Amino acid sequence: MSGYTEGIIILLCINAIAAMGVSLLTGFTGIFSLGHAGYMAVGAYTTAILTVEYGVHYVPAILLGGAMAMVVAYVIGVPTLKLMGDYYAIASIGLGEAIRLILENWQSVTRGARGYPGIEGYTTLYVTLAFFAVMAFGMFNLIHSRFGRAFKACRDDYIAASLLGFNTARYRVLSLVISAFYCGVAGALLGGFLSFIQPIMFDMIKSTELTSVVVFGGLGSMSGTLIGASVITLVTELFRPISQYRMLIYGAILVIIMVLRPEGIMGQYELGPRLFRRLKDKFSSQKREPGEGRSSS
Amino acid sequence: METLLQQTINGLSLGSVYALIAVGYSLVYSILLFSNFAHGGFLVIGGYICYFTLKSLGFNIWVAGLASLVGAGFSAVLTEKLAYKPIRERTNVTLYLLIASMGMSIVIENLFVIIAGGRFRALPAVIPTHPVHLFGVATTSAFDIISLLAAVVFLGALQLFLVKTKWGLAIRAAAYDLRIAGLMGVNVNLLISIVFFVAGLLAAVGGIFLSVRYTLYPQLGMITIKAFVAAVIGGLGSLPGAVVGSLILGLSEMLTAGFISSQLRDLVVFSLLIITLLVRPQGLFGKNISEKV
Amino acid sequence: MNLKRAGIILLVSVLVLTLGTGAALAADTIKIGYLAALTGDWAAYGQTEEKTALLAVDEINAQGGLLGKQVELVVYDFRTRAEDAVNAVRRLAEEDKVVGIVGANGSGINIATAPLVNRYGIPQIGTVSTNPFVTVDKNGKVRPYSFRVCFTDPYQGKLIAYFSAMELKKMKAAILYDVGSDYSQGLREFFMKSYGEYGGEVVADLGFRAGQDVDFRAQLTEIRDKQADVLILPNMGKEMALIMKQARELGMDEIVFVGGDGYAEFMWEIAGDSMENSYWINHVSPDDPAMAKFFADYKAKYNDECKEFVNGILGYDAMYMMFDAIERAGEADPKLIAKALSETKDLQLHHAVITMDEFHNPLDKDGIIIIAKDGHGQFYMKIKPE
Repeated sequence: MSGYTEGIIILLCINAIAAMGVSLLTGFTGIFSLGHAGYMAVGAYTTAILTVEYGVHYVPAILLGGAMAMVVAYVIGVPTLKLMGDYYAIASIGLGEAIRLILENWQSVTRGARGYPGIEGYTTLYVTLAFFAVMAFGMFNLIHSRFGRAFKACRDDYIAASLLGFNTARYRVLSLVISAFYCGVAGALLGGFLSFIQPIMFDMIKSTELTSVVVFGGLGSMSGTLIGASVITLVTELFRPISQYRMLIYGAILVIIMVLRPEGIMGQYELGPRLFRRLKDKFSSQKREPGEGRSSS
Repeated sequence: METLLQQTINGLSLGSVYALIAVGYSLVYSILLFSNFAHGGFLVIGGYICYFTLKSLGFNIWVAGLASLVGAGFSAVLTEKLAYKPIRERTNVTLYLLIASMGMSIVIENLFVIIAGGRFRALPAVIPTHPVHLFGVATTSAFDIISLLAAVVFLGALQLFLVKTKWGLAIRAAAYDLRIAGLMGVNVNLLISIVFFVAGLLAAVGGIFLSVRYTLYPQLGMITIKAFVAAVIGGLGSLPGAVVGSLILGLSEMLTAGFISSQLRDLVVFSLLIITLLVRPQGLFGKNISEKV
Repeated sequence: MNLKRAGIILLVSVLVLTLGTGAALAADTIKIGYLAALTGDWAAYGQTEEKTALLAVDEINAQGGLLGKQVELVVYDFRTRAEDAVNAVRRLAEEDKVVGIVGANGSGINIATAPLVNRYGIPQIGTVSTNPFVTVDKNGKVRPYSFRVCFTDPYQGKLIAYFSAMELKKMKAAILYDVGSDYSQGLREFFMKSYGEYGGEVVADLGFRAGQDVDFRAQLTEIRDKQADVLILPNMGKEMALIMKQARELGMDEIVFVGGDGYAEFMWEIAGDSMENSYWINHVSPDDPAMAKFFADYKAKYNDECKEFVNGILGYDAMYMMFDAIERAGEADPKLIAKALSETKDLQLHHAVITMDEFHNPLDKDGIIIIAKDGHGQFYMKIKPE
C-alpha cells in the first residue's frame, strides 16, 4: 500500500472519529452545533504542546488532548446549552470562532496565527486504526445503551422526555462533553499527521464540514455518519489536483443532498442485518401484483 | 478625546455598511426563520457586476450600480428557487436550509474564484475618497459620508416600502406568521421571491461600498458573518434591531482596535454574540422567542 | 431507494479502486515539484511563479534537459494555506516521487514544510521565504534539506532600518505588521533591533491579521496621533495597498511608506496614487538590464507583463539553481542533489551570483531599493548594510 493511500485512510479515520462525535450531539441528541472544530483545535494544540514542549508520550498526550476538549466543552457548554434550537447553533458558531481567536492571540503558548510546526509524526496507520476501532466500538455501544435511548428521547421530544423524568439538561451536557472528547482526539491525531497545526485550520469551514458529513450520512444513523465521512474524504482527496473545482463541487454536493434527500443517505437506519431484512421485505412487497392489498410499512 | 471621536466616526461608518447587509439578512430571517449564509454571496455578485459593468462595458456608476442591484436581486431569487424552495416545500426543518445556504455560499464564492481568478480588483474611484476634515477634530473621508447617506437612503426606502405599500404589508404579515398570511390569500411564493430580491439588492449596495472601500475578491462575502452577529445582537427578525446592532458592532470593533488591541477586535465581536445569547437571546429588539421544542 | 443505495456503494467502490491503482506510468523524466499559491491571498504572486517556473523548464528542455532526460514540473496549489502546502509536499514525496521541490514564496509555509522535507530527504528551495527559521531549526542547527535563493530577514530588516534612518533620515517609525506571518514578525523584529542601533525610535508597533482585516483606520489613527514620520510595512499582499490608501484618506499626507520584498505591481490597482513615492527594499529591480531578456521571453510566451517580478525572477532563478545542482550531482538522487545545493559556489544566475553559506542562505547579496513612481516600481539605489 503506497504512503499516499495510507494517508487517505488515516485522514478518513480522523474525520470519522470527529464526525462520530458530532453525530452523537447532532443526530442523536438533536443539538445542532456549528463550532465543533474548536474542540478539535483544543485537542490538537494540547497534544502538540505536551509532546513537543514536555516530551510526553503521544498516547497519553492524545488522551489528555481529548480530556482538555471535554473540560472546555463543559465550561462553556453548561451555560449555553439552555439555549434551544437555532439559537444554540448560532452560539456554537461564536464559541468555535472564539476558541480559534483565543488560540491565535495566545502567542506565547501557541505561536499564534503562524501555526505550530515540528510536531512528531506519531499518527501512523496502526495508531489511527487502533484509535478508530476502539472509539467506534465505544460509540456504537453507547448509542445502543440506555444513554443512547436517553439522548434520542431528548432529541425527539424534549418536553415529554423531561416530563417522563429524564434529566434532560444532564444528558445534553453529557452528550456535548463526549462529542468534544471525540473531536479533541481527532484534532490531536490530525496534528500528528500533518506535523503542523494552525488555528485557521479549525475555522467555521471545518465545523461546517463536520456537521455536513453527519447530515449527509443521515441524522440518527452512526453508520450513515461513517459512510458520509468516507465519501466526503474521498471526494476531497480525489479532486485535489483540480482543487479550484474541488470546493465548488463540495458546495454543490451540499446543496444537492439537501434538495434531493435531506434525510441523508441512511436516514435513521443503521447499516446492519435489520436494514437488509427491511430492504428484502421492500423488494418482495414490490413484486406483488398491483391491487393485491397493501403491505404495512 | 480627539482619538475617541475619530474612532467613533470610523466605527459608525463601518457600522453603516454592516447595517445594509444585516438588514437584508434579518428580513429573510423574519420571513423564513432561517439564517441565509449565502447572503454574502449576493454581496459578491453585486460587487463583480458593478466592476465589470464599469470596467469592461464602460458605463458610469449609476448604470453600473443599477445593473448590480438588479443582478444581485435576481441571483438571490434564483438561489431561493433553486436551493431553498424545494427544501421548504418538503420539510420544515430549518437545519437543512441552513446547510444548503452554506453550500450555496461556497458555490458562489468558488464560482467567482474560477471565473474572476484570485487577483484582487479595485473598483475605479467612482466614489470620491478624499479626506474631509470635521471641525478640525476628526478626519473622515468623503466616502464615509456618502456610504452613510446611501445606507440611510436605502434603509429609509425599505421602511417606506414596508409601511406604505401593499406588498410591504404582506411582508410584515408574513413575518408575523407565514402560514396564516398564506391562508389570507397572499401568494407566498411570490412574496418570498420579493423578499429575496430586496435582500439581494441591499446586499449589493453593501457590496459596492465594500469593494470601493477595500477591494473586490471572491471571499469578500466572509464579512457577512459580522453582519450576522450584528443582526443577532439587534434581534433576529427586527430591522431597526439590525441597524442598531450594526452600529454597536462597528463601534465596538473600532474602539477595541483603537484602544485595546486590533487583534482582539474579532474576539470582542464573538464575545458580544455569546453574551447576547446568554443574557438576552432575542437581542435588543427581538420578539420573545417561543420555546422551540 | 435501493437503487440509490446500491449506486452509492458502487460509487464508493469505484473511488477506492481508482485510488488503489496508484501512480500513473513512470515516465523517464526528472520530476521537480513546485509549491505555488495559485488561489487565495497570494494568488497574484503564485500564478506568476508558476509561469516563470514553466518558462525555465521549457528553456532547459529545449537545451536537452538534465542528465539526458527531460524535466517535468509538478505544480501543486497550496491555496495560501500552510496545511495545504504540507499535504502537497506529502503528495510530491510519496506519489510523484520528485527529486526536488521549489517554492513556496512564504516563510510561514516553508517553516511548516521544513520538518517534512527533512524527514523525507528531498531538498526544497524557497523563493521568497526570508525568515531565518526556514533553513535553521530552533537550536540554530542548519536543516540539511532546506535552502533559499533570497536573502534573509535579519539582513533585510537591517537594510530597511539603515535606509529609513540613514538615507531618508526618518527617526520616528511606526510599524504595521501581520501577526499571522512568520515573515512579517521576523522582519519586524530585525528591523526594530537595527533601527534602535541607528538611533531611531519606534513610536508605534501595531499588528493586524492578513486575510481577515481590511480596515486599518483604528491603527492608522493611533499612528497619526503618535506623529510617526515613516510607516514600515513588512508584509505581503493587498493589505499594504489598503493601508496606504486608508492612511491618505485619513489625511496622513506627510508620512513616508517603506516596505520590504512584499512589493508587487498589483498593489497599484488598489492603492493608486497613495503609493507614489513609497520605497521598497527588494531582491531585484524591474529595470535591471540583466533581466531584460527574461522579461521579453515572458511577454512572448504569456502575452502579459511580468508584474510580480520579484516572485517571477526568484522563482525562475530558483529553478536554475535546482537545475545546476542536479547536473553537478550527476544523478537524480535527492540526497546527492541536496549536497550539491549546499556546495553551490559562484553560480551565475540571471539576477545575481549565488554562493551558499553554511546556513543555506545566499552569501552577501545586494539589497535593491525600489521607488514606486509614476505607476510602477523603479530602481532607486543599491545598498549593502553596514
